[in-house]
Amino acid sequence: MTSLGNSSSTGTEYIVRVPKNTSKRYNIMAFNAGDKVNCSTWTQARMERDMSNRRMYGEEETPEAGAGSEFGKKQREEARRKKYGIITKEFKVEDQPWLLKVNGKAGRRFKGLKKGGVTENASYYIFTQCADGAFEAFPVHGWYNFTPQAKHRTLTAEEAEEEWGRRNKVVNHFSIMLQRRLREQEHGEEEEEVAGEKGGKKKKKKGGKGGDLRIHDLEDDLEMSSDESDSSGGEDGEGKSKSKKDISSKAKAKKKKKRKGSDQEGLEDSDDGDFEGLEVDYMSDESSSEEEEPEKAKPNKGDDVPKGIDEASESEEESEEENKNEEEGKEEEEEEEGKKTPVQTEKKKKKEKESSGESDSSEDSDIEGETASALFMKKRTPPKRGGRGSAGSSRTGSRPGTPSIDNAATSNTLRAAASKLEQGKRQAATSSSDTPAAKRLKMEPSSQSPSGKSTPQPASGKSTPSSSDVQLTEDAVRRYLIRKPMTTKDLLKKFQTKRTGLSSEQTVNVLAQILKKLNPERKNINDKMHFYLTE
Amino acid sequence: MSDRGEVDLTGAKQNTGVWLVKVPKYLSQQWAKATGRGEVGKLRIGKNQGKAEVSFTLNEELTTIDSSSGKAPVVRAPREHPFTMQTVGGQTLAVFTETSSGENQLTNKIALEGVVVQRAECRPAASENYMRLKRLQIEESSKPHRFSQQLDKAVTTNYKPVANHAYNLDYEKKKKEEGKRARADKQQVLDMLFSAFEKHQYYNIKDLVDITKQPVIYLKEILRDIGIYNVKGTHKNTWELKPEYRHYQNEEKSD
Repeated sequence: MTSLGNSSSTGTEYIVRVPKNTSKRYNIMAFNAGDKVNCSTWTQARMERDMSNRRMYGEEETPEAGAGSEFGKKQREEARRKKYGIITKEFKVEDQPWLLKVNGKAGRRFKGLKKGGVTENASYYIFTQCADGAFEAFPVHGWYNFTPQAKHRTLTAEEAEEEWGRRNKVVNHFSIMLQRRLREQEHGEEEEEVAGEKGGKKKKKKGGKGGDLRIHDLEDDLEMSSDESDSSGGEDGEGKSKSKKDISSKAKAKKKKKRKGSDQEGLEDSDDGDFEGLEVDYMSDESSSEEEEPEKAKPNKGDDVPKGIDEASESEEESEEENKNEEEGKEEEEEEEGKKTPVQTEKKKKKEKESSGESDSSEDSDIEGETASALFMKKRTPPKRGGRGSAGSSRTGSRPGTPSIDNAATSNTLRAAASKLEQGKRQAATSSSDTPAAKRLKMEPSSQSPSGKSTPQPASGKSTPSSSDVQLTEDAVRRYLIRKPMTTKDLLKKFQTKRTGLSSEQTVNVLAQILKKLNPERKNINDKMHFYLTE
Repeated sequence: MSDRGEVDLTGAKQNTGVWLVKVPKYLSQQWAKATGRGEVGKLRIGKNQGKAEVSFTLNEELTTIDSSSGKAPVVRAPREHPFTMQTVGGQTLAVFTETSSGENQLTNKIALEGVVVQRAECRPAASENYMRLKRLQIEESSKPHRFSQQLDKAVTTNYKPVANHAYNLDYEKKKKEEGKRARADKQQVLDMLFSAFEKHQYYNIKDLVDITKQPVIYLKEILRDIGIYNVKGTHKNTWELKPEYRHYQNEEKSD
């Protein structure tokens, strides 16, 4: 009942009522003006309490009865709290924040936090005008400040700190999140790959992790075994875990290969360390324990290599074949130098093994494989010496020259060709042509590097059939590495196959050996492994 | 339940405009005393030289303030309250209501009632009455809640010397009638232990003594047979059954 204009000034009077018995509780929903929230545009909204804090006040998850419980635990806990005066705040649903979702899943989300102290000293009332013109005043029960929740991805604190440190260097800030997303995608894929590979790897190899990878890769190339690629990833992981031993792995790799070939079927789910110390019947008459040890070392080294390859391949978007090669190469290069050599040898050994295992003659694989196997064959021949049999690794020149002789023994035209090649390379091979000497060299490349380099250098120099401008020599690699840190990819780029005359695989092998010999220092720059020398 | 959590948006769609008014505490207290339909006063909105003037007049019957001491009201609440109008800017304020259906908070109905279009502060018109009221309030609040008081006589009613406390007597009587713990049959004790360990995994030696009513040494002998004593870990100094005797759900072992 409004009484109209009865005061002196022009105005109207309205009755104010404060309804008593409403079960409705009025609350304020406050948005920041900058968020541009217009309630009238909302088509639908859902709001519920955010109960995520409830567990904070929940008791520890100790079982009340049965296993794991203590007699009288509750009473003791209670007594303890009283003694120390620990008071846990009750979980009041009333005080919990609100979660508001507007316009369904794709719409905006808000979080409403309760503002304290609103009803302490003054009361807020909501004045609504009713149909009859009177005002109704409702007390405000609570005040919630609603803030929009970001739907886009954000960086965590650590990442933000990183980016902050790089802000002067990074030009395109918009790409930061994009890169992150891409990286995650790759990572996700890689993980799957690694998982698959690991499974495959186990099947394939025993013990020689690194070597196994190598072997698998080669086998892939040669199409000798299935799910090679699977294993490469797994190998990487295993390889990394293995300690890198500085032992000439040639002999070992060879041994491994042999083992592999013979026991391939039965190698499912073998663990890395399971086969160490195992006496295996080899095709050839290699069976010296001394060789076995180096072989073991080799696989270890090889393991590292596989890991490297994964990293490398992850960032590369090259053709499969190239990937394969690069994987092999990367495996060899990224891991410690020591590993590389063994890996290479192992790879070669693998090939050899394959051939020996399966047909004891060059297998009918593609030419590359044949060449490689031929090369490997050469290396393989001196199993007794624990010949590293690394045809490829012979580039280091530390391989004994005997393999070549042995290779000749293997009557394989391809091998002969390969051996010829190798021989040519090996001409400058180490002074010490016996295995032990070679082993020693390999075992302590770092210690001997200053001296050892001189010897193998000529060998490595020869490793590339000269007919190009750039030779993949140890010297060249050294120069690059001294000048600035480089990744294996970078190094590979420097020695392009066209210019060096080597096949990509060979390049990879040679480079791996060189790196192993040089034993450069490793540094992680931008998540990539760089090598560098300081001389 | 799709209904739960669903916000009723009728108020928002209609863009119902409401006022948010800040009201002094004493006034809201008076309003709480309103009877009948809840009429508390009258709101006068006028235009004075282009500016809107809003003022609230409290009803007569609500001006009596009940003071805490129960005496007759000394002061009365002022009647005139002009409103100070403010803009809402900087914040978008909406009003939503929660209908608590019974105790269960989860089935509340949430509705958006409207948007705040105007903010106001209800101020009492400065008057003698109000000043007195305020002074009273200040006096009230400045009184300390805790204070020290000197006593004339010492309090002698609390602790009186007693030959022996009642509690102690009861305790001794209980002990006497219980008597020394006798060694029961080993098998019986084992049964008791196993059933106890079925309920809980870890027990204190004292609790076990309590449960089995056996002398400690004897009990320890038996326990050494079938159980182990945890020295380290979370369950310190507790006894538990040996793994082969255990048969808990979580564990795979069985005896």
